[in-house]
Amino acid sequence: MAASVRHLLKPWTPSLCLMRWSRYNPYYLDPDPSKDARVPESELSPEEKELQELKTVSPIKAALSSDTSSAFNDPLISKFINMMMHDGNKILARGIMTQTLETIKRKQVEKYHKSPAAKREEIECNPYTVFHQALENCKPIIGLASVQKGGKSYQVPVPLTDNRRRFLAMKWLITECRDNKHRRTHMYEKLSQELLAAFTNEGNVVKRKHDLHKMAEANRAYAHYRWW
Amino acid sequence: MAASGCRGVRSILWKYGSCGKNFCVSRSKTVPQLPVRQICVSSSLWKKNLAAAGPQKFTQEFIDKQVEEFEVGKRHLANMMGEDPETFTQEDIDRSIAYLFPSGLFEKRARPVMKHPDEIFPKQTAIQWDAEGRPFHFLFYTGRQSYYSLLHDVYEKILAIERHQDKMRNKGLFTSETKQILLTGSRWLLKEEIEEYLVENISDHDYVRLIQLMEKLLSMPYCSLEEEFILKFRKQLEAQSSKHEIPALQYDPQGVAFSVADGRRKTAKASITLRDSGSGNITINGRNYLHCFPLLQDREQLMFPLHFAGALRLAISRALLSFVSEGEVERIRQAGLLTADPRIRERKKPGQEGARKKFTWKKR
Repeated sequence: MAASVRHLLKPWTPSLCLMRWSRYNPYYLDPDPSKDARVPESELSPEEKELQELKTVSPIKAALSSDTSSAFNDPLISKFINMMMHDGNKILARGIMTQTLETIKRKQVEKYHKSPAAKREEIECNPYTVFHQALENCKPIIGLASVQKGGKSYQVPVPLTDNRRRFLAMKWLITECRDNKHRRTHMYEKLSQELLAAFTNEGNVVKRKHDLHKMAEANRAYAHYRWW
Repeated sequence: MAASGCRGVRSILWKYGSCGKNFCVSRSKTVPQLPVRQICVSSSLWKKNLAAAGPQKFTQEFIDKQVEEFEVGKRHLANMMGEDPETFTQEDIDRSIAYLFPSGLFEKRARPVMKHPDEIFPKQTAIQWDAEGRPFHFLFYTGRQSYYSLLHDVYEKILAIERHQDKMRNKGLFTSETKQILLTGSRWLLKEEIEEYLVENISDHDYVRLIQLMEKLLSMPYCSLEEEFILKFRKQLEAQSSKHEIPALQYDPQGVAFSVADGRRKTAKASITLRDSGSGNITINGRNYLHCFPLLQDREQLMFPLHFAGALRLAISRALLSFVSEGEVERIRQAGLLTADPRIRERKKPGQEGARKKFTWKKR
């Protein structure tokens, strides 16, 4: 028994070399780096209880070096940093992100001090909430897929999963900031401008999202071409 | 002259050789001193004895004898080493054999070994056909009779449960809220374990099919009728938190508690001493950690319970186990801090530029 369990816990190379494989056995669960106090037993639903029990008996994967239990660790920000990264230069990408957040904070605080007392409460100074809200405003609700029927390919409106929506929003932001900027502006400046614009539902990225929605609305007739 | 003479002799021998069955018997009677070589063989020996040449290489008596000899040998070994024969474990046997027969061979499996015969002789199936050559099992000609008969059994049980469901529906007693089998804390048997159970080789595809069929059985409302059968194929998992070794707490001459632990990540190794003094200073190789880790991200990892920061983090978490309570150990484990990261550099493959990058594709 001990021998077979040891075999289960060793780094695992599958017998068939598939393209997407990991060194972990499929039984390993993802780590949970949060430091928060656990919710007491009574408030958990039966599924959550099952999940907790499963966690006590399964082995857990090693934590990534980008995740920490500190309050400043945000999974969304980490994902965005990874998408911005070129050639594995995480240091540069993280630096750009920190500078962006700093610029956002500075701009918002400046606006805060310049505005009259009545309007001060509406101005959001926390750069993390600004980022989250801006990303939400950039996420498309419906997407388009190319379906071939009768020799012709049509653009069919299609629902999107959460992951896909988040990915598209981030991708649009990054491409927008890389392409449509003056040669002399820094990435973090352009990014902070775009994020603040998206926060108030203005700017090119939100425009692109609206264009996509309009196209989907126009191609509503082809919706039944979708079979999945 | 001599050549023609030889040829003549050979022709006589050939003539004699093509005679028939009882040639060898008559020859041995007439010329007993000359060495006799058997040139032909009687037809009664040509029929193969199928029942004797079965898959069973070791008989049950042979294995029982081996077990007896092992037990006796174990007692002799214990007496030789001066230890108590009653409490002589397998580890003691291994230790004694390594002491009495020291071997410098690099291949561990080539070294002398003394283990229980059940571990050495593979499990054999008994002869699967009778004296006339007719197989006992109706699925013998599939080639994998145990596997297919298992699939048959599972399907029979599914049908039985469906019949039971219909009966309940007819009586009007059908409910979906029946007793569910508890499956948390157990896993399906692995392919190797199923192979051991069936004493047959099965492929990955077969294993997946078997698990799918079992899942189908589990998805039915009245599956609790076959709980015993299903649990035979599930193995209980023990609580993982007990697996990690907590390093012993040692004490300085000044009375300060400290613990020592090691960690590894890719090719970096770290060994640390964690002291209870409470000053919060971290020194690496005698230098301050700010010199070694100028990046905030690496320092965050140190505080987290380093690309060497990875090795250091593992070592710190392990050392911390001795200072921290049981519940905290579980929290640390679930945060993924105690698992040694198994990711290594993927090897470069032949015919490709790197591990994944391919050469430029040319159509012709």
